[in-house]
Amino acid sequence: MEVTGFDTWVLSLAVFLPLVGALIVMLIPKAYETELKLVALGSSLIALVVGAYIAIQFDYGAAGELQFVVDKGWIDVINSRYIVGLDGLSLPLLLLSLVVVPLCLIYSWNHIPDPGNPKAFFVLLLILSTGMNGSFVSQDMILFFVFFEVVLLPMYFLIGVWGGEDRRYASLKFFLYTLFGSALMIISFLALFFLSKDASGQLLQTFDMRVLTDVAGVGIIKSTQVWIFAGLFMGFGIKVPMFPFHTWLPDAHTQAPTVGSVILAAVLLKLGTYGFIRIAIPFLPEGAIAWAPWIGLLAVIGIIYGALGCLAQKDMKRLIAFSSVAHMGFVMLGIATLTDFGINAAVFGMVAHGLITGMLFFVAGSIKERYHTLEIARLGGLLKSAPRMGWILGFASMASLGLPGLAGFWGEFPAILSAYNPGAGLSEEVFRVYMVIAAIGTVLAAGYLLWLYQRTAFGEPTEEFAEQKIADVNRDEWIAWMPFLIGIVLFGVWPNLIFNVTDDVVSGITASVEAIAAGN
Amino acid sequence: MEALLAFSRPALDWHALAPELTLLAFGTLITVVDIIWDDRSKQAMPTLAGIGLLATLLPVITLALDGTDRTMFGGAYVIDDFSLVLKALFLISGYVVILMSVDYIRDGDYYENEYYTLMLTSLLGMVMMSSSRDLISVFVALELLSIPAYMLAAWRKGGARSNEAGLKYYLMGVFASAVMLYGMSLVYGLAGSTAFGAIAEELGSLDSSPVAILGILFILIGFAFKVSAVPFHTWAPDTYEGAPTPVTAFLAVASKTAGMVALIQLVFVAFAGRDDVVQPFFWLIAALTMTIGNLIALRQTNIVRLLAYSGVAQGGFMLVPFAVAADAPARAVEAVVIYMAIYAFMNLGAFTVVLAVARKTRSGEIDSYGGLFQYAPGLAVAMTIFLAALAGIPPAGGWFAKFGLFRALLDAGGGWAAGLGVVVAVNTVIAFAYYARILGQMWFQPAPDGDERPVVMTGSLKAALAMTIIATMAFGILPGLVGHFGEVSVLSALGG
Amino acid sequence: MLLNQFLILGAVLFAVGVYGVLARKNGVMVLMSIELMLNAVNINLVVFGVQHGVVSGQVFALFVIAVAAAEVGVGLAIVLLLYRNRTSIDVEDFDLMRG
Repeated sequence: MEVTGFDTWVLSLAVFLPLVGALIVMLIPKAYETELKLVALGSSLIALVVGAYIAIQFDYGAAGELQFVVDKGWIDVINSRYIVGLDGLSLPLLLLSLVVVPLCLIYSWNHIPDPGNPKAFFVLLLILSTGMNGSFVSQDMILFFVFFEVVLLPMYFLIGVWGGEDRRYASLKFFLYTLFGSALMIISFLALFFLSKDASGQLLQTFDMRVLTDVAGVGIIKSTQVWIFAGLFMGFGIKVPMFPFHTWLPDAHTQAPTVGSVILAAVLLKLGTYGFIRIAIPFLPEGAIAWAPWIGLLAVIGIIYGALGCLAQKDMKRLIAFSSVAHMGFVMLGIATLTDFGINAAVFGMVAHGLITGMLFFVAGSIKERYHTLEIARLGGLLKSAPRMGWILGFASMASLGLPGLAGFWGEFPAILSAYNPGAGLSEEVFRVYMVIAAIGTVLAAGYLLWLYQRTAFGEPTEEFAEQKIADVNRDEWIAWMPFLIGIVLFGVWPNLIFNVTDDVVSGITASVEAIAAGN
Repeated sequence: MEALLAFSRPALDWHALAPELTLLAFGTLITVVDIIWDDRSKQAMPTLAGIGLLATLLPVITLALDGTDRTMFGGAYVIDDFSLVLKALFLISGYVVILMSVDYIRDGDYYENEYYTLMLTSLLGMVMMSSSRDLISVFVALELLSIPAYMLAAWRKGGARSNEAGLKYYLMGVFASAVMLYGMSLVYGLAGSTAFGAIAEELGSLDSSPVAILGILFILIGFAFKVSAVPFHTWAPDTYEGAPTPVTAFLAVASKTAGMVALIQLVFVAFAGRDDVVQPFFWLIAALTMTIGNLIALRQTNIVRLLAYSGVAQGGFMLVPFAVAADAPARAVEAVVIYMAIYAFMNLGAFTVVLAVARKTRSGEIDSYGGLFQYAPGLAVAMTIFLAALAGIPPAGGWFAKFGLFRALLDAGGGWAAGLGVVVAVNTVIAFAYYARILGQMWFQPAPDGDERPVVMTGSLKAALAMTIIATMAFGILPGLVGHFGEVSVLSALGG
Repeated sequence: MLLNQFLILGAVLFAVGVYGVLARKNGVMVLMSIELMLNAVNINLVVFGVQHGVVSGQVFALFVIAVAAAEVGVGLAIVLLLYRNRTSIDVEDFDLMRG
């Protein structure tokens, strides 16, 4: 597709508008609180409008190809370029990120957590937004790396400044884990740069992700691929997070302010899984084939471990955090099968998990604000004291446990199913065992979510809160939550909205993996 | 007698020497003005020194535009792109240090005029160092930059800590010089020449001469003291803590860079054939320096000491490319030059913030940074940028420096290089742990004693801060700027 | 020529100097030890210069002598400063900060 006129700018606009907004907000004195909030929201909404324009202009017939591509010089000395582009894999994730940020701003409008300072809070959210949007559209490894890292500091401060009691510990843990992963990731990127060859054996020396996808690691011998993949695995796997690197997640989620948790769950974790699908697997098919059984193993361990962890939690937010570990396990299992079906399910699962778990964290945040506690034992009777919120919690829990007809189902069920028949010559026996374990995981998921719902929503309010008046969902919350709720239903009844967009890209990736597997 | 009569003055290329001469002229001018007008001239001194540095930049720029390599004194002194890039770096760092010094030196009880003269003299040594291609000129340049620095470290004459800083720096520095000289005498004995090119030829042909190995090691150890590499770093934290803060910044940045410049010339040119000695030596030293510097930094409670140990660790990062000096020479030189350039700005920036905060809190303890984000958000954000840069987090500049290291290592390839890469990765993480302590203090903690008066910034501090922030961010977002300088340095450093 | 003997002399002087720097506590004695090390260097340089028949060794030695004078000048000034402030020139007394 020839890109002309305004279209050459749209992706960059969607990425950098929030950053521009952040810079303007920084210049507005603290006293003008409403103005600076409006500027922040405005910039993220304009970015969203640009995102809508992109979604409309996107050529769905050619979803497998990059569109709106811009390729400009950036760091010539290392042959890294400013390349952005969007295909069917990036589009849903970019839109997710563009939608979530303004909703978080609206939610925080009158709910800036202690110690206040809306200016800094909004600036950080906007910088975060730029980092996330940029990661999903970068088509150059160095550019991707830079955006991938840009999200770290804002998140660190969001947790560290506005978080709960153990915020310093949680924020540092979050940061150190991800930093270690990304250091290994950049080493792997460089290894790809130096070792990648084209079909004729010519060294490529490029960070261009389009080129590296095309050559699919042909010039790199298998043992080297396995090593490079290991580095990428650390970088992305920590971000996902996969068992056993998940320990930062419950801490970060529990301590983070509400919108921090929402963004973490809805978008940040997706950077890891996106990295696997966009970079690790297509660039290093042989490495992926070698690693797939292990990724699958860690994924199912994550599913079971996350579920059991949930059952042991006393704190609602922590429980949702562990359920994230389990859900991302399903996503990784789908990816590990290296099938068209499985990876499509994984992408769907990413979006669905973003909406559902984001929603759950919103509700948890609002409960915390009203009850000043999230201890499950002390809550109860939410349906009585705040019926609308109770219903929303129920709805999100049902979606999370994978009820057919809601979005969660289409992420989990096909992922499990795809393990029945893994691709690229992977052992069927092994993956069928994984399938059974994952299926048990869904049962456990139903168990802990229903248990959570029963204890918090059913029955009478506990004595402690029986006398208190608990406000129901307010206007800001309705505005912030409605898109999530609509999305959950919409994608639940019409999953092809996403599958149709992602399938072209995914089948391209799996086809090249299959070809490599067949060649061996 | 005949030899004496046959002596003819070597041809002098005045254009090539113009930077050194300008710097010398301004250093002298400050002294003369001081003698004539005495106290009345005090106000003008920093301005004069600043103008001197900027004036020196002019011939550097004209030489760069001219573009021809100029060689003097039988190859002992060379003006090429490599040297010009570094001269500019030294001069700009010096300028920032002068901006940092103005109020500090004026408000404290210090000799002012001599301070600036010595600063310029030391910078002259550094500017000479970048052109030196011969044992004698390296030695002279090294002493010219070191001797004024010994005095500057002890500049707070009445302060016991400053005295001690000067003494430790002096003793270690002189001892290191002596060790290095002994090594040089051995190398000279084997090569029969002091020129790097000739040394490279001779040393490369002597395979297993223990004297050659000893000579090389002694020279390298001498410079390891200068760049405060572990285990020769013990002077650095004490000297940094005791010396006046602007001097500390000067030592941590300019002095260290000068040592690195000498090492580049020695390792990549003079000892080019001896990777059997050089590469393992630097592998070990770099790994030790990074790791131990970082581990000790974790325990510091004083911010200057923390930055001192962080500087030791950063020096370790800079030494990493030397470990692949023979396997990937071009990438390695590039990596060191880029690292030095970015390091100069981010570290000077961090010291500027420390200076500014100390104007209010009168303390160097990390605890005193509590609440900075509440009462001085600008400084807190600036410090965040510098610390992020030091930690190597995009988009602040440092990431490209670290990236250069990884690039050199992977270009060299092989298990040892990859292993060192992992050591670098682990150290990046450790380093963030202590940078995060400062960040956490600034952002997450309330001000001690609830003292939330704003920090009074002076014009020169603001200027220093603006320069360093702009450079740090620009290098991070458009690394091509600094990458270009790295690239041109490679061509001439290895070509010569 | 007695090359080896001169070199051994240089090595011995150097070793004595190193020992002095490490073992002596008196600031002035430490300075003297460093002078010994530098003189060992000078001997080496001159001998090698003669052996190779080039003048650069002697020139180098002259530079070393000149620079050493400057260095010791500064060193004595610092030791004097310490003596004024602390009435001691024992280098081990100066341990306000421990690296």
